This record gives sequence, C-alpha cells and structure tokens, in this order.
Amino acid sequence: MQLMLVDDEERFLSTTSKLLTQNGFKVFTAGSGEDALEILKREDIPVVILDVKMPGMDGIATLREIKCRFPLIEIIMLTGHGTVESAVAGLKSGATDYLTKPVDIDVLIEKAKEAFEKKRRLEEKILIAQSIYERRKAAYMRSPKDGLKAI
Amino acid sequence: MESEQRYGKLRKMVLVCMILVPLIPFFLTVGIGYYYFTSALEKKTISSTSRIVDDHRHMIEFFLQERKADLEFILRSYDFDYLAQHENLLKVFERLQIKSNAFIDLGVFNQEGVHVAYQGPFKLSGRIYKNEDWFSAVMKKEVYISDIFLGFRRVPHFVIAMAKQEGSSRWVIRATIDTYVFNDLVKKVRIGTTGEAYLLNKEGIFQTERRSGGNILDEDRDFTKYVTQDSEIMTFMEKDYLGVDYFFATTWLKDKEWLLVVRQETRDAFRSLRQAGSLILLIALVGGGSITAMALFLTNRILQRMIKTDTEKDQLEEQLIRASRLAELGEMAAGFAHEINNPLQIIRSEHALVNMILLELTDKEKIDAPEEMAELHDSINQIGLQVQRCSEITHSILKFGRKTETTPADVDLREFIPGVVQMISSKASVNGVNIQLDIADDTPPVHGDSGQLQQVLINLLNNAMDAIYEKHGVRGGELMITSGHDGKNMVHISVKDNGCGIGNEDQKKIFSPFYTTKPIGKGTGLGLSVCYGIINAMGGSMEVASEKGIGTTFTVRLPVSTKG
Repeated sequence: MQLMLVDDEERFLSTTSKLLTQNGFKVFTAGSGEDALEILKREDIPVVILDVKMPGMDGIATLREIKCRFPLIEIIMLTGHGTVESAVAGLKSGATDYLTKPVDIDVLIEKAKEAFEKKRRLEEKILIAQSIYERRKAAYMRSPKDGLKAI
Repeated sequence: MESEQRYGKLRKMVLVCMILVPLIPFFLTVGIGYYYFTSALEKKTISSTSRIVDDHRHMIEFFLQERKADLEFILRSYDFDYLAQHENLLKVFERLQIKSNAFIDLGVFNQEGVHVAYQGPFKLSGRIYKNEDWFSAVMKKEVYISDIFLGFRRVPHFVIAMAKQEGSSRWVIRATIDTYVFNDLVKKVRIGTTGEAYLLNKEGIFQTERRSGGNILDEDRDFTKYVTQDSEIMTFMEKDYLGVDYFFATTWLKDKEWLLVVRQETRDAFRSLRQAGSLILLIALVGGGSITAMALFLTNRILQRMIKTDTEKDQLEEQLIRASRLAELGEMAAGFAHEINNPLQIIRSEHALVNMILLELTDKEKIDAPEEMAELHDSINQIGLQVQRCSEITHSILKFGRKTETTPADVDLREFIPGVVQMISSKASVNGVNIQLDIADDTPPVHGDSGQLQQVLINLLNNAMDAIYEKHGVRGGELMITSGHDGKNMVHISVKDNGCGIGNEDQKKIFSPFYTTKPIGKGTGLGLSVCYGIINAMGGSMEVASEKGIGTTFTVRLPVSTKG
C-alpha cells in the first residue's frame, strides 16, 4: 500500500512515515504541494494525505491540481483549524475525507485504509467495465453481427 | 473636576438663555404697555383739566365782558348830567341789577374824581377819588377792571370803571361787582376729590377763595412756582409749600392781570394710573419670578439628563472598548490555538512512535526491566492524555473564536426543545435523571441558527447533569425544562436542576472564558462563555440563579422572531 504524506513540518513527515511504515505502508513524503506533484508524476501513489495549511501552494490548491491531473487518487485532508470550513472546501473539491489535527495515528491509518478500499473498489469497477468492453470489442471483431447483437 | 466645571458653565449658559429669552419680550411687553397706557391716561387727565381751565377762562372772560358791555351801554346811552341825578342813576341801576345781580352799586364821578352820584348799599357820595389808583388808570385807559381789594368799605370787591369824553371834560362811571357771585363761579369747579380752581392776580393774591385753604386777598405762597405763558394753557406738576404733589393747569386772563389756576393732587389725578402701575408691577414680579423658577427647574432637569446621558455614553464606550479587546483577544487566541495544533500533531506522532517502539521492545523482551518499563508506559500514556487535553482546549478555543456562517431561521421551540432533550435522554437515563418538560403551547418561535441553539441547550443540559451527578450520583436527579412567552416579545427557556448548585462567587464569573469549577481535565471553561456569546449575538440574555446544595436554574431569554 503506497501513500504519500504532504506537510510542511519535516518532523511530522519523518515520524509519521516511520509509524506508517511499521504498519505496512510504503510511504512517500513531500514538504510542499509542488514537491508532491513532482513525486506523483514519477510514482503511482493511490492515496495522499494532505495538510491544508502550507506555505506556498496551500492544501486546497494542491488538492485541485492533483484531482485535475490524477483524478483517481484518493486524498485525505489534514486540517489544523478544527473547523469545518476548510474541510468542507476540501470535500467540495474532491477530497475523500478529512482529519483534524492533532490526529491519532490509529485514526490516520484507519482513514487511509478506507481510502485504499475505496480506491480498490473503484479500480475493480473500472476493470469490470473495461473487461466487458474488451469482450464485446473482441466479439465484434470476431463476428460483427454477433458483436452488434451483444452490444 | 473638569467635567464639573464644564457642567457649571453649561448650566449658566442654559439658565441665562432660558431666563433672558422669555424675560426680555415679557418685560418689553409689560413696559411698552405700561408706557402707552400711562401716557394715554396722563394725556387724558391733562386734556380734561385743560378743557376745564379753558371753559372757565371763557366763562370768566365772558362774565367780565358782559359787565363791561353793560356799563358801556349805560355810558353810551346817557350823558353825565343825566346820570348825575340820583333818581336817574337809581333807575339805571335797577335796570342793571335786573340784568345781572352781580352789580352791587353804581357810581358817577366827574373829572376831578368827585363821587357825584352813587347808588348802592354804602354812603359814598361826595367822596373824592382823584388820588386813587383805579381813578387815574381809568382816566388814562378809559376802561379799568380792578383786582379784588378792600377799599373804603373793608369788604373784598372789584370794580369796573369806564371813562367818557364829553366835550373837554371826562367823566367816569363805576360799578362794583359782588365778589361772592364771582367767587362761586370759580369755586364751584370740582374735579375728583381734590381738584379745584381759583384766581390770582399778578402779585399772587387770591382773587377767589380756594377750597383747600386760601382766603380772598391772602397771598398764594406757591405763586412763584407757577409756570405761565400769556393766554396759553400751561400744565405742569409741582409740590406746594406743604410738600404735596399737585397737577396744575394755568392760564392768564384779563390781559395778564389775573391768573386762573386749576389744580388737583397728583395722587388723586393719576389714581387709576397708580393702580394700573402697581398691578403691572405685580404681574411683572410674579411673571418674572415664575419664568426664573421655571428656567431653574428646567435647567436642572436638562442638566441631569445630560449628565446621565454622558455617563451612559462613557459606560457604553468603555463596554465597546472592552468588547473589541475581547474580540481581538478571541482572534488572537484562535490564531494561537491553530498554531499550537501543529506542534501537538508532531508530539502526538512522536508519542505514537515511542509507544510503538516501546511495545516492540517489550514484546520481543529485549529489555528485561518490567518495572521500569511499566513506569515508562504509564508516563507515555500520560503524555498521550495531556496531548489529548491540549487538543480539546485548542478546539474549544477555535470553536469559540471562529467566525462561521450561521444560517438563521425561525426555530419552533415547541418541537426543537424536545428534539434536543431526546439527544441526551440516554445519558439522562443512565444517570438516573428524571427529565420533565413544560413547554407552553404559546411559546413563540425565535430567529437564529438552530445548530448554535442546540449547542447552547446541550451545554446547559450537560452542565445540569454533571451537577446532578456530583450531588446525587445516579439516583434522584431532577431536571426541568420550561419555556414560554415572556411578554414584551421575549421567550424564555429555563433549565432547572437539583444538583450541587453554584456558589455566589462562582456565579459572578460563570460566563467568563476559561472559568471552570470542574476538576482539571474535565472542562475547558469555555462552554458557558460560548453559550453566552451565541445568545448575545441573537439579541437575548442569559442569567443564572443558584443556591449551593439545592440546585441551579439557567434562564435564556430570546427575542420573539419577527420574520414571518
């Protein structure tokens, strides 16, 4: 299970990544939104945990950018506000879930797992849809008449 | 001190304005009225007196003229020789007396002043008057009217004499006029109670009697004071020799030989003037007094009101400053809380890591020191708890200071309150609290954010249950929620418990932020202050009534919704 932590707090990144690694995750870390986007280009990361408040490109902007380029990535927002506004903004922009700081590691892991599950189901659906399409396509190729009927 | 001076100045200014503004027109009106009234009255008095003088002058002059004409008629009708005969003179005299009974006697004189014929009550025939003043005067001027004098008969009288040229010689006819007849004519003038008229000659000798004292031929001691001018009627005021004020009218008669005087005591002449004057003075005094009193009263009222308003304004300003400071503090606190969350996050992560490592070490039995490890575990747990506590505090602060978009709507309390109570009913039943609801049917709706209102109610209910738990444990709790219309467009919601109650000192500070009586770790001290803020923002108020050991009642008052 690969995931990426994005936060401007270096120590948070290192400690949390250690904890998550211990729990069986492969963890990537990024200190800023820009870094995160760079890494996403290279790696196939299904889940991102994203801090809302960061210097430079902030959490919401990063979220939109990621959703724009990689629509299938599940994103969990991490907000320090303790208020719903930033969370609501995040959810509206396509975040999967949100957590308020300071968050318990167990809660974090639980949410991450949920995100993976969601992602997995989504991919499954895509695969099924694709396989149906492939089969029909193959049938069409074999015999356009039957294929059309199948379609 | 400074403000006292300012108020003093202000008071003076207002007072002066309030006195002067009505007083000036008031006194002007009274003064002008008085002036015109008195001058009109004075003019009337003067003119009526002048008319009397004029009338009497004419009367006297007419009388003298007539007597003169009588004599002239005799003079022209008869010659000396005829009149020198006693019987003839008697006939003429009798006719004369028929015409006017003022004639006392009649006499004829020759050029040498010998009284050749006389008709009258005295024996005057044969007397020689050559050296008498009147005789020489008449010989020269042809007509002579004497002043009143005593003469040979020692009785006051005056004479009219006329001379006639006959050939080379002159003769004279002379008649004596009864002073008393003449006297009555002048004396009968009567104006008011003290008004009188009299005649003086040019030496100031009384020619007629004066009612208030002054016999014929006495000297008038005030004569020199009289203002006179030819035959014009002069009016003036003067004191007489006794010091009494008189109003005089004078005119000369008989070619400036007699002076007709009409006089009246000023007090008498201007009696109505004086009455009007004193009445006006009284009105002015009373009016001025009441204006001043009113001004004083009103000024004090105005000033008191101003002082009150100023004080209220100052207090309001102070409150405003305090409120804005609190708001700033709230925002600052929110900022701090937010920033603190980040380090807290790291501590929590570190804590989790340490915990994990520690567990690993214990599991794999790498360290053989169970007691120390247990202690370390305890300590680590404590760190976790304290971080949890910190995060609760920061979240409360953020909730307190945040500016959220509320969605105000009409809230029907008759449905809303039971709904909220439902939310805590399970906790209540666990704690053995009996909840009673008394929601009046006429409880009107309020306007506000239902989420906030719910927060307030739940907070109050939770506090109540905490208090009950502290006093009764899990048995015997009573919680009563009432609501109803308060009149004056207010709604009240009360939460009454039979819990441990709140002491007087605590009641004062109960709505202050961070004030709590709960044990450390149990409350942030923000709950009620948040409630207070919410209710205040809705235009309502919150109060507490409590007795230690008996129970507490929180009452929320909210304005009735005016929308819809």
